[in-house]
Amino acid sequence: MNFLTDSFFSALLLIWTLDHNLIEIIGVSLKVSSISTFISALVGVPSGFLIAFSDFKGKRLVITILNTLLALPTVVVGLFVYAFISRKGIFGAYDLLYTQKAMIIGQMILIIPIVTTFTISAVSRIDDRYRKAALTLGANLRQTAWVIIREARFGIMAAVVLAFGRVIAEVGISMMLGGNAKGFTRTMTTAMALEYDKGEFVLSVALGIVLLSASFAVNIFCNYFQGKGRTSN
Amino acid sequence: MLYKLNNIIKAYDDRAVLDLNQICLKKGKVIGLLGPNGAGKTTLLEILAFLLSPTSGEIWFKQEKINSNIGRLIKLRRKVVLVQQHPILFTTTVYKNIDFPLKIRKTPKAKRNDMVNELLELVGMASFKDVGAHTLSGGQTQRVAIARALACFPEVILLDEPMSSVDVENQITIERIIREINQIKGISVIFTTHDVVQTSRLADDTLFLFEGKVAKSIYENIFSAYIETDDGGQKYFRLPNGLKLRTRSEKTGQTRISISPGKVRISQNSCNTQENTRKGKIIQLNQEQFNVRVLVDAGIPLNVLIPKGSFKSYEMGIGDDVWITCPVESIDIF
Repeated sequence: MNFLTDSFFSALLLIWTLDHNLIEIIGVSLKVSSISTFISALVGVPSGFLIAFSDFKGKRLVITILNTLLALPTVVVGLFVYAFISRKGIFGAYDLLYTQKAMIIGQMILIIPIVTTFTISAVSRIDDRYRKAALTLGANLRQTAWVIIREARFGIMAAVVLAFGRVIAEVGISMMLGGNAKGFTRTMTTAMALEYDKGEFVLSVALGIVLLSASFAVNIFCNYFQGKGRTSN
Repeated sequence: MLYKLNNIIKAYDDRAVLDLNQICLKKGKVIGLLGPNGAGKTTLLEILAFLLSPTSGEIWFKQEKINSNIGRLIKLRRKVVLVQQHPILFTTTVYKNIDFPLKIRKTPKAKRNDMVNELLELVGMASFKDVGAHTLSGGQTQRVAIARALACFPEVILLDEPMSSVDVENQITIERIIREINQIKGISVIFTTHDVVQTSRLADDTLFLFEGKVAKSIYENIFSAYIETDDGGQKYFRLPNGLKLRTRSEKTGQTRISISPGKVRISQNSCNTQENTRKGKIIQLNQEQFNVRVLVDAGIPLNVLIPKGSFKSYEMGIGDDVWITCPVESIDIF
């Protein structure tokens, strides 16, 4: 027990003194996760909107596949992307393996289904009268789409925040595609795994505290947006 | 001529909800579309608003034949605006809701401010300008929705049951607004209702819809009935509650009847000797322009119209027992 409390207090000290090593790792984590979330939102939100509002053959199949992808294990994504970007893969020539770009690609594959699926459900919940009201007031298709997205904004924001929470906490993709290179691809989760292997718990516990706080913040945001969506509809 | 509709059919899963031969609606009028629930009123309004395309048939709007070209439809929608039965306001302030049509029409910002304020004044909602639209009551929402529709500067405004879910005070305001936008702004108004009294008060022309079709006259006191022959060979309608009414119709089997409220006789003395006479109780009295409308519970709810002049001699009150007689010629089969 002493060991845990000792590690905990040393960890707090690390956070308090803004330890260089710690800040660097948090920086890489935040950068990679933010970029992958941002690009995934750019792809996932419009896709979700289009899927929700268009009628095409196989729509149900697409939704079923997306729902299945929600449970995608990170190691499977890691393996899959590795097959493409390793030296022997078809994109081997681009030298992507063990870079932040590779991690971003893997994380995007992980969370695009999350953003898309939750956008579909957020947009589908919006009353059809909004669409009709916008059209009868003279809106063109783009303006009508904007009205609906605006009404679904809290649900869509919740989807994006949820996706960010998923990538900041994942370890499989970062480890397999990033390689845990200090200062380049070492994230909070991969660093924790490494420190654990070394038997050095102080940095691990400090990162754990930061990660938990990040998850807590993500959940607060998520709850806030979902709550706002409920009260305003 | 504003609208001309030829052989319009709207069907869902092979079930026709609207089947209209020919309708012409005149410009600059207040037109009432009257009919019970499920008559196809809302469907017709959405077709007139170019939000819904009919399964078959032709629509002409001001000498232009409408086709499904989306670009053209967007332009036409800017001339016609629909206010839904339960209008939905965008999740923002009252001001921004009314500003929306002006903004998408690229009206200069300075001008927009004046226009929104003027419209808020017209519907009596000026003090609610910065209030969140979702905090308003049903009647207030309806008024803001009308102001938002007027911000489109339409040639036609379509109102779906504008007074169905609002209190009396809001009803009076909305009726005033309808008159003003028609008479002062010259906008054609088409509204739906199931209230005969409201139509007679507001509309220049009335179109009666029943089960998706235009009916020749305003059917009231509608009942489904079964035509049977008794032992004496006399025919009568049997209504669902067992009530029997004599008929001389040649038809047999299931049918639908309408009892004309102006032809029903009402008496305060027992007159059981006449055919088709029943005892009932007065449950409602309403004053109309020329008549008093008496709602009698005679096993079936029956509307009876009495000219105002003769009503005075009756001394009738709610709860009084009366005898009502439905002469054979007061019953129409359709």
